[in-house]
Amino acid sequence: MTSDSTERAPHSRQGADPAEECKRIESDLERLKALIGDAGDRLLLSFNQIAALLPQLAATDEERVQVVESVHAAVTALQFQDMAIQLTEHAQRRLSFLEEQLRSQSALGPDGTHSHPTHPVRQFGMAAGSIDLF
Amino acid sequence: MQSILAVDDSASMRQMVSFTLKGAGYEVIEAVDGQEAFEKAQTQSVDLVLTDQNMPRMDGVTLVKNLRGLPAYSSTPILILTTESSDEMKSRGRAAGATGWLVKPFDPSKLLEVIRKVIR
Repeated sequence: MTSDSTERAPHSRQGADPAEECKRIESDLERLKALIGDAGDRLLLSFNQIAALLPQLAATDEERVQVVESVHAAVTALQFQDMAIQLTEHAQRRLSFLEEQLRSQSALGPDGTHSHPTHPVRQFGMAAGSIDLF
Repeated sequence: MQSILAVDDSASMRQMVSFTLKGAGYEVIEAVDGQEAFEKAQTQSVDLVLTDQNMPRMDGVTLVKNLRGLPAYSSTPILILTTESSDEMKSRGRAAGATGWLVKPFDPSKLLEVIRKVIR
């Protein structure tokens, strides 16, 4: 058995308190947010350094067009950090809500349902979003 | 040089927006939320406002409403750039006086195209 496998959390948590499980998942999501934030910051730093040098490397107009297109594609993709963190925070809010409900089963509304926080991120990929001019 | 007030609570988003706008020759003034943007807009004039929606202290739609209440910003283009894509939110933005609603992630070429179309 490797040391890596001994550090993993057990997959089976039979008998575990569901509210406590929610809290653990919230904590995992907090770590995920920190990892995404750190990776995003490092990528941005590298992007800025490379983007500053790229125009000097393009000799022809065709190369310049390619450089601009590549930089623009990177700008679109690098927005993942903001979206991923918003999505993670939303998942944390839902878990927090679920945890509260599990801790207080008597909190049902008159129709027997709970209201959920509204979802700020509906995108499934990093393709550019829609544009509406009013 | 035309100036744009870029508002977003995410530092990485502000960086991507600034990089795109500065590369196209615009002066960029940054604000971390609607409240700071509203304060900056009253001390320096800008040609366009590009704001996020979900921010602490003051959200984008409230910023639009507040800016439209100032005579200096009655006709300044204000674009909302957000992850929010529901028709309900877009309607709220439109009712507040926003010029347009752009869903993240943005494509720099398309963002600049829209800005050139609405900026005076």
